[in-house]
Amino acid sequence: MFVSQSMTRKVITVSKEMTVLEAQALMYENSIRHLPVVEADNLLVGIITDRDIRSALPYRLAMGQSDPQERAKYAHLRVADVMSVTPATIMPTHTLQDALLLIQEKRVGAFPVVDELGRLKGIISVRDLLRAFINVLGIGEPGTLLCIIVENQVGQLKCIVDAITEEGISFGSVLVARYWEEGKRAVFPYLLTNNVIRIKKKLKDMGYTLLDPMKWYMDQLPKSE
Amino acid sequence: MKRTGFLYDPRYLLHDTGPYHPERSERLEAIVKGITDAGLMPHLTKIKARRADQRWIETVHAPEYIHRFEEFSLSGRRTLDCDDNQMSPDTWEAANLAVGGVLEAARMIMTDEIDNAFCAVRPPGHHAERGEAMGFCYFNNVAIAAKYLQMEWKVERVGIVDFDVHHGNGTQHTFEKDASVFYYSIHQHPSFAYPGTGREFELGTEAGYGYTKNSPVLPGQGDETYQRLIQKDLVPAFQTFEPQVIIVSTGFDAHKDDEMADMSLSNDGFSWIMRTLMKMAEQHAKGRLLSVLEGGYCLERLPELAADHVKVLLDA
Repeated sequence: MFVSQSMTRKVITVSKEMTVLEAQALMYENSIRHLPVVEADNLLVGIITDRDIRSALPYRLAMGQSDPQERAKYAHLRVADVMSVTPATIMPTHTLQDALLLIQEKRVGAFPVVDELGRLKGIISVRDLLRAFINVLGIGEPGTLLCIIVENQVGQLKCIVDAITEEGISFGSVLVARYWEEGKRAVFPYLLTNNVIRIKKKLKDMGYTLLDPMKWYMDQLPKSE
Repeated sequence: MKRTGFLYDPRYLLHDTGPYHPERSERLEAIVKGITDAGLMPHLTKIKARRADQRWIETVHAPEYIHRFEEFSLSGRRTLDCDDNQMSPDTWEAANLAVGGVLEAARMIMTDEIDNAFCAVRPPGHHAERGEAMGFCYFNNVAIAAKYLQMEWKVERVGIVDFDVHHGNGTQHTFEKDASVFYYSIHQHPSFAYPGTGREFELGTEAGYGYTKNSPVLPGQGDETYQRLIQKDLVPAFQTFEPQVIIVSTGFDAHKDDEMADMSLSNDGFSWIMRTLMKMAEQHAKGRLLSVLEGGYCLERLPELAADHVKVLLDA
């Protein structure tokens, strides 16, 4: 669950001296939107995004049209002129949770990942985080989602996990959500099996309520009076 | 009345999944009993199961996978690739007979010995991938039948309809790049049900883009939702595609009494689906429809559901 495990290591970088038009072409060719700007020894000095470039160029050029005369007028623009010089960064040893919270707070699409000396180690984007989150949910693997209502007291989850483990079923993930009723929780185990008849019956026999997830969802919606 | 074939072989019962597995031989016994008790057996043309020629299985599955399955089964291993796939030494033979029986049914439809057929086979097939057993499935009976129809009988366009409550990942993946096979599946939404594929945005890839269509259904929904989605997503698609044969992955596990998933189809709901498919087969495919059993685990409901299914096929 660390940034170093989910970041992209092979980063395409630019120098401050590169022209904005060259940087634009580089983004287009590689279908990316963030280019870290580095100096010698991979030291991070800034970041340039597709948004920075769009703001710096007139509309038609920003959309990639190549009127040679028009382009010539903007050929002098350098990366250094439009880049952000103090980008939000993150370290490889930070956790994915850090990255999720930070990306929400800073409202950016990607962070350069740097070591304690400020040298670029990778980049982590919203897309990398989504992939990591899919992995956490376990939904890349075939499985079945159950929804179990439990009393909000210590030990409930253990009973459920034990019951499922006794059946020899592996977990993709377990999510716990607040239930609308006072003192209850909804537990969503994602089970890596097609075969859920027996475990469903067992959980019911143990006194748990298995809920139709749609009913749970509908009950969360604001009631119209 | 239609000439309807019925495939069943007692050797399908020998695929032993152990004491607690829902995909058990009693399912087929319930199906045969239901059809017999409804007095329908005399109207059906019996189809003999025989082993499939391995070259047909290789149109869908990797040789190394076929080999591994054979080795694991015959050497007495109890599972293949995942714990869901319990098996016994007879599983290999049953799976070969399932494929072979389905191909025989397809042959009889193409030689006009019968109009349509219901294949009560085990093990089921629609989760089986090219190189991996999944979700109680070993060989993808339906996918192999589609390949067979195309290669042996020069059928240009095959339409597959899968109304098992689970998405047929194996069938979809076999044909997702292929514009000559249209795969349509209606199933419980993959965020809630196995195997987690079959989302609305899965539409095929490359040349096959637009020839895969999925209608995920949220838990708790029943006849009305199924009818609305089939009218909206399937009927117009087949109107355009004009399949020359329709193959049906028939699963009875979307029934409201089936504990495997959370759908609420009624007996009538299943009959409505089949009548709709029969109409489409009449319209586009000279009535040629090949129905192959996938899931369905409620032993109390299976007899009625199978009898109703056959009644619609017979057009009785």
